[in-house]
Amino acid sequence: MLSVFVVLFAFFVGLGFWASRFRKGNLADLGEWSLAGRRLGVFLAWFLVGADLYTAYTFIAIPSALFANGTIYFFAVPYVGMAFGVAIITMPRLWKISRKKNYVTAVDMVHDRYNSKTLTILIALTGIVAELPYIALQIYGMQAVLTVMIGQSVTADVGVISEIALILSFIILAAFTWTSGLRGATVTAVMKDAIILVSVVVVIIVIPLTIKGGFAGAISTATAASPVINGAAKNFTVLPNLLLNGFMSLAIMSALALYLYPHAINGILSANSTKSLRTSTALLPLYGIGLALLALFGILVYASPAAMHIIAPAYNPVTNTMPTGSTVSNVLAVPALIYANFPGWFVGFAFLGIFIGGLVPASIMAISQANLLTRNVAKFFRPNMTSEGEARMAKWASVIFKFIALGFIFLISASSALQLQLLGGIIILQTLPAIFLTMYTRRLTKYGLIVGWIGGMGLGVYLAYAANVHNGVFKTFATSLFNFGAPFGPMFVGLAALALNLLLVLVISLATGGLKNPPAAAGN
Amino acid sequence: MTVSQGNSSSQSGNKKVLAALLLLIPMVVFAIAPIYNFKGPTLFGLSFFYWFETLWLVVSAVLFLFAARLLNSMEGDEN
Repeated sequence: MLSVFVVLFAFFVGLGFWASRFRKGNLADLGEWSLAGRRLGVFLAWFLVGADLYTAYTFIAIPSALFANGTIYFFAVPYVGMAFGVAIITMPRLWKISRKKNYVTAVDMVHDRYNSKTLTILIALTGIVAELPYIALQIYGMQAVLTVMIGQSVTADVGVISEIALILSFIILAAFTWTSGLRGATVTAVMKDAIILVSVVVVIIVIPLTIKGGFAGAISTATAASPVINGAAKNFTVLPNLLLNGFMSLAIMSALALYLYPHAINGILSANSTKSLRTSTALLPLYGIGLALLALFGILVYASPAAMHIIAPAYNPVTNTMPTGSTVSNVLAVPALIYANFPGWFVGFAFLGIFIGGLVPASIMAISQANLLTRNVAKFFRPNMTSEGEARMAKWASVIFKFIALGFIFLISASSALQLQLLGGIIILQTLPAIFLTMYTRRLTKYGLIVGWIGGMGLGVYLAYAANVHNGVFKTFATSLFNFGAPFGPMFVGLAALALNLLLVLVISLATGGLKNPPAAAGN
Repeated sequence: MTVSQGNSSSQSGNKKVLAALLLLIPMVVFAIAPIYNFKGPTLFGLSFFYWFETLWLVVSAVLFLFAARLLNSMEGDEN
């Protein structure tokens, strides 16, 4: 297992280095380092954007959330289905506007339109901050794989093993991003997706056949075991009525959020035409089939005693009992299931897929953050920077941001890894008016957008905090659903925050004259 | 030229509406969970809730692809 993993990883790193020479361009130039020179066709663009979908979110966060909470976190499937519809509607327009005016980020557009330093920096920093928990999630994914691999190879304290795994993951991520840039991430994404697609196809065919009782058996085992393992009974068959609104708000808001992330927009702007952009995006829901099946692994794992032993060593599947206070590492759900059911060499192969499945997207995210910082924030303070200076700053920034991302690992425990991505979602949704609406109307004002942002972000942070404070104690960010009471019930915090933001944008824009005398029509 | 222009603009209007429907139908179905929140009929031991959503991804990709083709062909007309 270990040797297959190490050999393939060495090959992967070699490919990353080679990639920096791919279709030769001047890597010292920021546009080259971060947009791969805008020369990616349908095929590579599909891989690059697809690479954003098979990440630690898919392999680790969603299955572990289903493992711990049941059906509600299957929201990821309608989320990806809708997200690509949103993209086909909005992104070709952004691509056209950007190509015409030579924008490299969506914030370039905001700056050009409103000519406001405050708004520009606000939106750029929001993008940068929203990526941080998402990167932290990827690091958790890499850590989960290493934890199972090291933990099954040597005997040592679990805590020590997972700390070593965390440090290793972080160092590899920082070194990889530094050396290869987006070009490296793109070429390695092809290898990553090839390994991942093979692993996913093999695993989703073999595991349900291996597991005694198949899906039906696993669902009834999970239903019986969940009060013991998760502390409360969870539903693994359908959505309880109480959670319908939570499910729908999570799915719809996540779909609106995906293409606001700087890394997603970065990928879009790398496409070589709007036609290839539409076609490749239309096919992306197919990637979601793998996501759906991997999500179900969070339930299947209940029927594999060997895998359950890795996740919850103290759990006894025969008597369905566990001493109270025992460790349950639900992030290990998918790695444990693969480890327990495949020969060593295939485990090494699939683990490498999951590992670089966190590494490559994290690297793409860090690059897009650095891009925003140099283009949309630093320019105000150092207007005369050369393009070499920009590239150097972007590289350093990408390393520093990864250190800050580590901070989120202390804020949010691995058992609620999905919440990292949802926290990012609450934050990035507050840029929706400035980015999406600006493409379609000239009637908004900078005052409206600034006040809307403040209101939305304020409410989002408050509700996120209020949902996680119990008896005045904030331990970890364990849920992003706030109970709004009847008739709404628990709903995603991002929905309320975005609603307030939009309301304020409209009202303040109206009050500051934006809606009365619109100049010429937007866009083209 | 003027006649065919009027004709093609109404045609492109129709295409636009059709493309919008092809994009919106999959999204609206996904958005309204009560449409698929049922136990049966089951498939491979999975409740309707799970397999319908997974199958709907395939339907969405097909409808999105038709929408993308339509929008792409309109862009060709414009240029």
